[in-house]
Amino acid sequence: MITQYFDTSIKKWRQLFVGLGLLLLVLFALNISLGSVAIPLSSVIDFILLRPPIDNSWHLIMAKFRLPKALTATLVGGGLGICGLQMQTLFRNPMAGPFILGISSGSGLGVALVIFLGVEAGLLFELSGIARSWIMVCAAALGSFGVLLAIILASVRLKDSVTLLILGLMLGAASSALISILQYFSQATNIQAYMMWSFGSLGSLSWNELMIFSVIIIIGMIMSIGLSKSLNALLLGANYAESMGVDLKIIRVMIIINTSLLAGTITAFCGPIAFFGLVMPHIARMLFNTTNHLLLTPLIILIGGILMLLFDTVSQLPGIEATLPINAVTALLGAPFVLYLLLRKRNVHYTFDK
Amino acid sequence: MHTQSLAIGYTEGRTNKVLQENINLSLSSGEIISLMGQNGVGKTTFIKTLSGLHKGISGSVYHQGRLIDEISKSFLAKQISVVLTEKPFAAHLSVIELIALGRHPYSNWLGQLSTSDKQAIDLAISHTNIDYLASKKLYQLSDGQFQKVMIARALAQETDLIILDEPTAHLDLSNKIEIMLLLKSIAGSGKGVLIATHDLQVSLQLSDRLWLFNFNQPVLDGCPEDLILQGAIDQTLFPINNNIDLTTGTVKRLDEHKGNVLLQGDPTMVHWTTQALQRNGYAVNKDTPTSITINCLDCLWKLESKDISTSFDSIENLLIHLK
Repeated sequence: MITQYFDTSIKKWRQLFVGLGLLLLVLFALNISLGSVAIPLSSVIDFILLRPPIDNSWHLIMAKFRLPKALTATLVGGGLGICGLQMQTLFRNPMAGPFILGISSGSGLGVALVIFLGVEAGLLFELSGIARSWIMVCAAALGSFGVLLAIILASVRLKDSVTLLILGLMLGAASSALISILQYFSQATNIQAYMMWSFGSLGSLSWNELMIFSVIIIIGMIMSIGLSKSLNALLLGANYAESMGVDLKIIRVMIIINTSLLAGTITAFCGPIAFFGLVMPHIARMLFNTTNHLLLTPLIILIGGILMLLFDTVSQLPGIEATLPINAVTALLGAPFVLYLLLRKRNVHYTFDK
Repeated sequence: MHTQSLAIGYTEGRTNKVLQENINLSLSSGEIISLMGQNGVGKTTFIKTLSGLHKGISGSVYHQGRLIDEISKSFLAKQISVVLTEKPFAAHLSVIELIALGRHPYSNWLGQLSTSDKQAIDLAISHTNIDYLASKKLYQLSDGQFQKVMIARALAQETDLIILDEPTAHLDLSNKIEIMLLLKSIAGSGKGVLIATHDLQVSLQLSDRLWLFNFNQPVLDGCPEDLILQGAIDQTLFPINNNIDLTTGTVKRLDEHKGNVLLQGDPTMVHWTTQALQRNGYAVNKDTPTSITINCLDCLWKLESKDISTSFDSIENLLIHLK
């Protein structure tokens, strides 16, 4: 009976994964094709299949801008989603997200320090565009990994996960306060530069940056799949997990390193994209009706990529010259989608309370 | 498994708060043991210490002759499984997925199930008779069904020892008995079973041994009936005498005393009439003549006192008359 149960479900899931994979490819092509300059899908397919280009300017747009952006969007969507999933399971809290431990505030502080103090010292704007973007990335990375280090040190000492959560919130609050003080004493142009960073952007990565970015994110994703077994045991609570042989201390530190690496890297390169990581696990759980992390992790990588590509396509619809900030688009389109799912399901059982 | 001068408790700042000390107990396979004591006496802490989830203050726990601290977590998970009072954070989990989690110590790094894993799950499900629940989600289960599912998960873990923390709390009497009988049959299949419980009657009948924890007193260990005869259960569980018949868990009599009644007749009717009379402050005799005599037969109560004889068709009317 059991074997039959698992076999039918394996068949069902396999079909779903193939379907989602195809959908991801379609949206990927669509995302490359649409933008301020609309490129016909046939050319996009030619480009992806490495056939000789018909139009060189289209080819250039795709190679230099559209393709890196589409790749970034796919990785960011999946990466943020699995961070949210792991934080929600670790803290047993449906409100947790990738930035719950103060990682985005930490990188925000790093960027704010570079912008506000760097401009005061007259350094930042003298540098060329590429050097400047690398400095921003490094500042954001340093900020987020500073917070990460504090959290990991605490997680080795503290026994309770919720205490860790509160610590993260406090670190986030302190960083935000420092950012406000920096903003208070700076000029309007610098505040605008900081605001631009905080809107988030998927299109600012060069191929060089994308190489580093994708390597880190893919390592994080593989690590997440390896963590799924322990995360499943954690669904029953810390004591049960330990009784089933999970080494709680090591697993907790690994989950924190993994999510911080993913969320920190994404924030460093693309800015704080807040809403996405929090809702992605909910969307996946509601759509596919499972809590098994071994399924949820790849599912979220796929539908996170799909939705991020979709949102990015919307943010630069043809005919509009400017691109809407990705942070606004994700929340603007994501919130109604989640509401729709919630209302359709009527009773969502997140906790065990009946 | 056995303990050697074990002290349990927890650390508050720099001081140790000891709940029980000098615990020397042992549990062997095929045995079902109930651990009893009042709230706060350290039952849950003891269970966690035994299963390696909590550190003891001093002394040692041995499992199969090895110190528990020296056994790796993954190996220990194949020796001891637990059923705790915690609820899972995933009502979307299906029953079969939850039971499959019990295979955690055996499955590969991705948690994929092998044929032997699936056989163990099948066996756990059939042993607990929950085939009909297998595809349900956790939020659809009643408390009793949920408890059986958690026991099935522990069975799927294939351990020599299963430790349960209040498995019958919040359950009605028939579910309590069902769970206890299930645990007894699990013990019968050669596993050791330890239950922390407050259900005196059920565990007295079904346990091979009782462990009694009391505040500031040594731990008691023995056959349930011996402990009753020694009065140990009364001391441990009911230190304040509330006129309770401790072995049956019934209230003996209330303080007020209105008089003596001689009660005769059909045994079942006598039993329930006695309870009603005692509740209302009458002491009941079965043979000594008293001023009031009640004969009950064929759902009629005939009361005789001072040469007046009255008949009643219900206990309620009888009680109204006596007042």
